[in-house]
Parts: sequence; structure tokens; C-alpha cells
Amino acid sequence: MKYILPVFVIVVLIAGFVKKVGVYDSFVEGSRQSVKLLLEIFPFICAVLIAVELFSLSGLNAYFSRFLAPLFNLLGIPTELCELVVIRPLSGNGSIAILENIYKTYGADSYIARCGSVIVGASETVFYIATVYFSTTKVKKLRYAIPVSLFSCYLGAVVACLLCRFI
Amino acid sequence: MNTMFFIMTVASLVLLVVVSPDSAFSIMISGASGAIALAVKLCAIYAIWLSVLDIMQKVGMNKALDKLFSPLTRKLFKGEDEKTRQYITLNFSANLLGMGSAATPLGIKAMEGMQDGSDRATDNMILFMVINATSIQLLPATIIGLRASYGSASASDIILPSLLATLVSTVCGVILAKAFSLPSKRKEKKSLTVPEPLKGAKLK
Repeated sequence: MKYILPVFVIVVLIAGFVKKVGVYDSFVEGSRQSVKLLLEIFPFICAVLIAVELFSLSGLNAYFSRFLAPLFNLLGIPTELCELVVIRPLSGNGSIAILENIYKTYGADSYIARCGSVIVGASETVFYIATVYFSTTKVKKLRYAIPVSLFSCYLGAVVACLLCRFI
Repeated sequence: MNTMFFIMTVASLVLLVVVSPDSAFSIMISGASGAIALAVKLCAIYAIWLSVLDIMQKVGMNKALDKLFSPLTRKLFKGEDEKTRQYITLNFSANLLGMGSAATPLGIKAMEGMQDGSDRATDNMILFMVINATSIQLLPATIIGLRASYGSASASDIILPSLLATLVSTVCGVILAKAFSLPSKRKEKKSLTVPEPLKGAKLK
């Protein structure tokens, strides 16, 4: 696994050299595009992260999770994991922090920790993807994109909790 | 998005005013500084991957990759051109290997190729976002590493359940996205009866 990345880059570089592509020019061009792209997506990242930081550090996340806990329990998601499930689609760093906390509290091999690992490992930061991926397009109306993504991710979480009981 | 942002920030701020009013401003600043730190990191990662991508495009490696995956991408993303399909394929490959931040610039380029100029997301764009948002990562390497560092005896025993859970969520996402796209397809068929010159004007 660890050889894939460097070997891939070497293959691309050699292929470029053989086909007489200016490899240095390509890196200059790539870096220029990177800065341009970042200037375009940064405002979106910044706005989202301010809201997420407020949501998790104000403690609203904890209240919200407690409020939703009975519903999650009904679906087979343990109360201890509610906060993680709520923050997962909002913030990647936030969910890693909560997961680390779970490892510390319950032990890395407990059922709760295994469930949490699968939930984080098998989903993505839905809102981050929604803002960044559409950021350079004119699209304002995402229609059914977020409901479908969220529903599917939550279904994944329910399945994760179920699977961890058996596997 | 505006409504959600408003509710999240106002509700959090109201709660903070009650609980600890001093920290409200510093939390907002820390959110923004987090964004700057992330942006610097992303800029570095994008610079490398966009450079490698540039070489791949000049060599023509994208075309080879597209040929390999086009049976699948052609079916899922009907009506997209070759270049967009290449970006989609590259984005999925990077995601499968767990390189989410390398996948992002490719995903943005794919989205740009799929837009129809209006402010509404097209069905293909939504399908593409849903597949990205439900994760198609084969090996959750970061989580396994993290678990091992907290003293897990068998850190990698989450691979199988993760794979299954992500498979369920992605398949569910694709089915739902395809189901939701049906009504708008019907509308498209109806609009085909609109006289040709009018349709051309509409596109402008």
C-alpha cells in the first residue's frame, strides 16, 4: 500500500519525460491552479468552519445529540455515539476529536469504539463536500442532494452499529 | 444553505450568551483560523496533485483510464463528455484509495463540466456529489492508524464492517438519487416538444 503513491508519481513523471512534456512547466502550472482554486473555495470553507466551530464548542451539539438520542437508540445507535453521528456530516476534524475521546473513555477495542470507527471510516463530511464541490459553479439550488446524502450516510451508520455486533 | 447557516450560528450564539459570553468571539475566530490552517494544507496538496494531473493530461493517461472505466461512468453519468468523464473517473480512483483531498480538485473540475449554466444542480451533479458524500473509500487507513495508537489489539478488524457500511450507503445513495431524478427526466421529455428555435433561445 505504501509504495502505490510514490511509484505512481514516478511513473507519471517518466511518462511525461518520454513524451517530451515539460515536467517543470507542469508543476508551475499545477501550483498556479492550486492557488487560484483555493482563493475560490476558501470563502466557503471559512464560513462553514465558523458555523461548525460555534455549533460544537457552544455545546449546542451536545444538547442536540441528547435531544435526538431516543430516535437514534430506536435505530440501534447507542447513546454514547449520538454526538459523533451528529457532527460527522459537519466536520471531519470534529468527528476525529470525538472519536479520540471515545477511544480514551471506553477503550479502543470496545463495542462503542468499534462502532464509532466504522461510522467515521465509512462516511464523509457531507456539508463540506456540498459547499466545496459546488463552489466554482453557478449552482445555488442543490435540490435533493443533501437529503439523499444524509439519509444514505445515516443508513450506513445504522448498518455499521448492526454489523459491529456480529463481526 | 442560508437557512441552515443562520439557524446553526444564531442558536449557538444564543446558547453561548447564556453559558459563556466571553468565549463567543474567540470561538468564531478559532473557526476562521482553522479554515486558514486547512486552506494552507489543502493548497499544498492541490499543488502537487494538480501538477501530476497536468502531466497526465499532456501524456494522455487520462484517456487510457477513461477507456477502462467508461462502461460504468457512461451508464451512471449519461450525456457527459469525455473530459468530464475523465475527471469523474480520476476523482473516484483517488477516493477509493482514500486520498480525499487529492480527489477534491478533480471533483470540482468534474462539477464544472457537468453544470448546465443554470442555478439548479443537474441530476448528474447531484449523483456525483452523493457518491462522494457517502464515501467509497476501500481502506479507512487514518482511522485504523488512530485506533492502533490508542492501544487497540486488532485495529484493522473494522475494515470489513466499514467496507460493508460504505457499500450500503453508496448503493442506497445511487438508488435514491436515480429515483429522485426520474420526475425531472419526464419534464425534460416534455420540453422536447418545445419548438427548436425556442429551445436554443432558452439555452442562452
